[in-house]
Amino acid sequence: MRRLTYHEPESLKDAFALLEGHGETAKLLAGGTDLIIEIKQETKTPDHLISLRCIPELQDIDYSNGELCIGAMVTHRMIEQSKLIREKFSLLADAVDNLGSVQVRNVATIGGNICNGAPSADTAAPVVALGAKLVLDGPAGERQVNVEEFFQGPGKTALAAGEILRAIRIPTLPQGAGSCYIKHSRRKAMDLPLLGIAVIIVPDDNMVCQEARIALSLAGPIPFRAKKAEAFVTGKPLSREIWEQAAQVAVSESNPRTSFRTTADYRKKMICALIPRAAETALRRVNKAWMKG
Amino acid sequence: MAKVLEPQIKDGQLLKIGQRVPKLDAWDKVQGRTQYIHDVKLPRMLYGKILWSKYAHAKIVSIDTTKAEKLPGVRAVITGYNTPEIRVGFIKDNPVLKKDKVRQYRDEVAAVAADTAEIAAEAVKLIDVVYEELPGVFDPEEAMQEGAPLIHEEKGSNVLKLPWKMLCGDVEEGRKKADFIVEENYTLPFVTHCCLGTSGCIAQFHANGNLTVYSPTQIRYLAQKDFQDAMKALGLKGKRVQVIQTAIGGGFGSKLDTYPFEFITILLAHYTGRPVKLVYTREEEFFASPGRQPVRAKISQGCTKEGKLTFRDVDMILDNGAYTSWGATTPSVMMMPISSLYQVENIRYVAKCVHTNNIYSTAMRGYGNPQATFAIESQIDTLAEKAGIDPWEFRMLNRNKPGEITPQRFEIGSCGMEECLVAVKEKLQWDEKRGKGNGRGVGISSLIHVGGGARIYKSDGTGTILKLDDYGKVTVLTSASDMGQGSDTVLAQIVAEELGVEIEDVEVIMKDTNLEIWDAGAHASRSTFVGGNSALYAARKAKEEILEFAAGMLKEPKESLYLRDRMVYSRNNAEVSMALDKLLRAIHFRTNGRQVVVSEFYDPPTVMLDREMKGNFSAAYTYGVHGVEVEVDQETGHIKILKYVIAMDVGRALNPMAVEGQLEGGCAQGLGYSLMEELQLDKGKVLNGNFLDYKILTFPDMPNIESVIVETIDEKGPFGAKGIGEPPLVGSAPAIANAVWDALGIRIRDLPITPERIVAALEAKKGS
Repeated sequence: MRRLTYHEPESLKDAFALLEGHGETAKLLAGGTDLIIEIKQETKTPDHLISLRCIPELQDIDYSNGELCIGAMVTHRMIEQSKLIREKFSLLADAVDNLGSVQVRNVATIGGNICNGAPSADTAAPVVALGAKLVLDGPAGERQVNVEEFFQGPGKTALAAGEILRAIRIPTLPQGAGSCYIKHSRRKAMDLPLLGIAVIIVPDDNMVCQEARIALSLAGPIPFRAKKAEAFVTGKPLSREIWEQAAQVAVSESNPRTSFRTTADYRKKMICALIPRAAETALRRVNKAWMKG
Repeated sequence: MAKVLEPQIKDGQLLKIGQRVPKLDAWDKVQGRTQYIHDVKLPRMLYGKILWSKYAHAKIVSIDTTKAEKLPGVRAVITGYNTPEIRVGFIKDNPVLKKDKVRQYRDEVAAVAADTAEIAAEAVKLIDVVYEELPGVFDPEEAMQEGAPLIHEEKGSNVLKLPWKMLCGDVEEGRKKADFIVEENYTLPFVTHCCLGTSGCIAQFHANGNLTVYSPTQIRYLAQKDFQDAMKALGLKGKRVQVIQTAIGGGFGSKLDTYPFEFITILLAHYTGRPVKLVYTREEEFFASPGRQPVRAKISQGCTKEGKLTFRDVDMILDNGAYTSWGATTPSVMMMPISSLYQVENIRYVAKCVHTNNIYSTAMRGYGNPQATFAIESQIDTLAEKAGIDPWEFRMLNRNKPGEITPQRFEIGSCGMEECLVAVKEKLQWDEKRGKGNGRGVGISSLIHVGGGARIYKSDGTGTILKLDDYGKVTVLTSASDMGQGSDTVLAQIVAEELGVEIEDVEVIMKDTNLEIWDAGAHASRSTFVGGNSALYAARKAKEEILEFAAGMLKEPKESLYLRDRMVYSRNNAEVSMALDKLLRAIHFRTNGRQVVVSEFYDPPTVMLDREMKGNFSAAYTYGVHGVEVEVDQETGHIKILKYVIAMDVGRALNPMAVEGQLEGGCAQGLGYSLMEELQLDKGKVLNGNFLDYKILTFPDMPNIESVIVETIDEKGPFGAKGIGEPPLVGSAPAIANAVWDALGIRIRDLPITPERIVAALEAKKGS
């Protein structure tokens, strides 16, 4: 019979000590919406669970000096309800809107979502598009890693033994930017994406693309920026046609897989179908912001 | 011979029938008071766990249970080698513990009883089984070929000796008469019930050798018989078996048979001398609980220039899986829509059930009807299209009518098919919306199902014992089963109506084979019709007795008396009245006094199907029409349901709220079957055995369902009602497929209608 010891440290320092003390027999527990299932299925078999829920500095959303800083233990529900994120980082709000259910969003955290390294993580493509930096803290001190470098393979991340993700730092988007994330899934709730598409665009006054960022999840083993497609649209007028062509370029950069959930072929078709739609919504949001301003 | 009594609808309007009464069990359920099998605990109870096969097809070379037996807390480890053989299924081809070989991943190889569920789970992992893998066969058509691996060597063939066949009229003649003929192939997937309450039972032997089984079964009395048969193998012939039904956390047909796990629990209880509980995990529920059988159908139909159907010709192959449960008999119900949905004289139907190393199938809501109706109703549209006739007009032209006798010799009494068609056409704005081909489209599908029981067994009866106490309260002991469909509520309404009491005065007990009279089980949408008539006639007997006594006491002719508002009144004399409870006490507390207790066994006036598979096996037939408007995303293939209408001829809605609940629930299940449900198997192994990957609709996915209740007041039904348990899910899939056709001109002939299939069909259309 498996016995688990549950720890609830109240400071990072105590958490580090526990991590060090129990080594590989310990697992960090954030919301637990994945880990607890894995423990029940015995695909993960820790002896110690170190919960991060009582560590105050991991719980806040902070916006200052042109930077959004989200604590690792911030729940998806908090993100969903943050007006600031919905206005200034719309694609992140899109990502949590259809994640699981309200009950799941109440406990699941952004830090857990990222540190799991699951290809299907809903926040992965948005944070990649946002160029987030992850603040990793450990006994050896703090370091910052670009989120793109953090994801190393399905279930594999740059988080070293003994380290804890403290926060996700996201630089403010350029003036006049619009963004959108589309989760393509079969159901409207309690589902994983078959494909995730995050688009950020910055048009100039003549609707010519100054900057474009396109991040895809489930289009390959890890979330990535479709750099060629980004380069393709940059400097071009933002028409549907251009985006359709950019989507084709993005497909050439992708390497989705066939699983029992869907086929690689269908995922590629969805890249083509959905990049223009994400761009359209992002652009509409730019215009809305202008109208407001 | 069964009797038919006229319902007595006198003394003005009905007071309890037709009311929107919330389900009586609802509060208990939402407040967590309902006792499911998962909640039941008996003193000294042990926990059972099954070791499942590691292969789809393999020889068992050896089983070593030594390590498991040594684990502290383990009380018994059983295998096919240290227990007497017990076989289950209606052709008894499924030994409850497998010896020599396994034929599917859900095969039971060994089982453990232990002090806790955790120890039992740990113990089964300690059992060493050496297998020698055998080549498997996972496709029914491959399984039919010469030289295919045999699933049951002793049977000599993978094709079951159940040659389903029905012939009516002359199909060749019908072909000659046809001006238009369409022939197509349709395929339907493996789906499963998704009961929220997982399967489980508790077996308990008593000092006298009698056995009590606690089970959320849909068939208390048929299960009792199966368990009784197993008692022989244990050397306990002649002992009594009692089945206590715990609250059913979803049935949908899954609990219409008995399964190896129940007998394994009985064996464990027998060998340990202690009560044993065995409950499936959710994962087990997905792979070790049989679902709806996959079907491949080849169908052709023909019509005249005017659109009259001239023949229907259907061949089917069913993947039976490794063993035989009720799934193998679903062709008998598929015959119903094939013979009797629309007027068509010339019919040929042949179906084969084929063993494979896939997991086996059982009954599921609709019992074959959804598969057959998908093929028939999709093709009605393609045939109408070919004949150049509006599909709605085509259906009206061929519709069934009240009083007709169908080629299968069903005696259709009440029939509201026309009213349903008209209602759906209007609600859907058929004429305005149809034929645009712009990504939006409308589709309809009709359906027929049994609505007055079904004589599958020699008896189709249900028993009722009804008593009234000194306080005017009524207790109804019925052998019907409620599994969420609302039978308890409807039976209370029927009895309250007849006895002139309030619904809260009536307690309906459906629980225990030691207490109640026999019943054929909650299947064939029969509980309201058969159980309802049984309760109605029991109440009527009690009423007669009460009024008889009241007549003497009040000195009024019996015929002038009636019960209402917990009182007895006289029609002749407004001065005369007496409270019911007072009257009941007067009957009781006197010399030679008695309490009012009556019993009734109602068996509908029907016959079993004969050797040609014909005969009026149900006392009434339910008709309905589904109508749907969809918008299809041509890039993603996603189907959005813009409107969903279901019109159902229910005879009489005894409780319109409960009827709507059935209609909406049926549509939810039907939409899942249409759009996303599929148990995916890879060489016999379930790939998506969890609620994330086996997709049923969530609340946000569920469209609003507009229900239209058509009342035809069936002369045989209780207060005119017909059964509607299964029908609401039958016609969803063809209605959606037809709407997709109308929207985009693509015909999806395989369920589920996934975005991938839509996108592929659109591409194929572009290419051609």
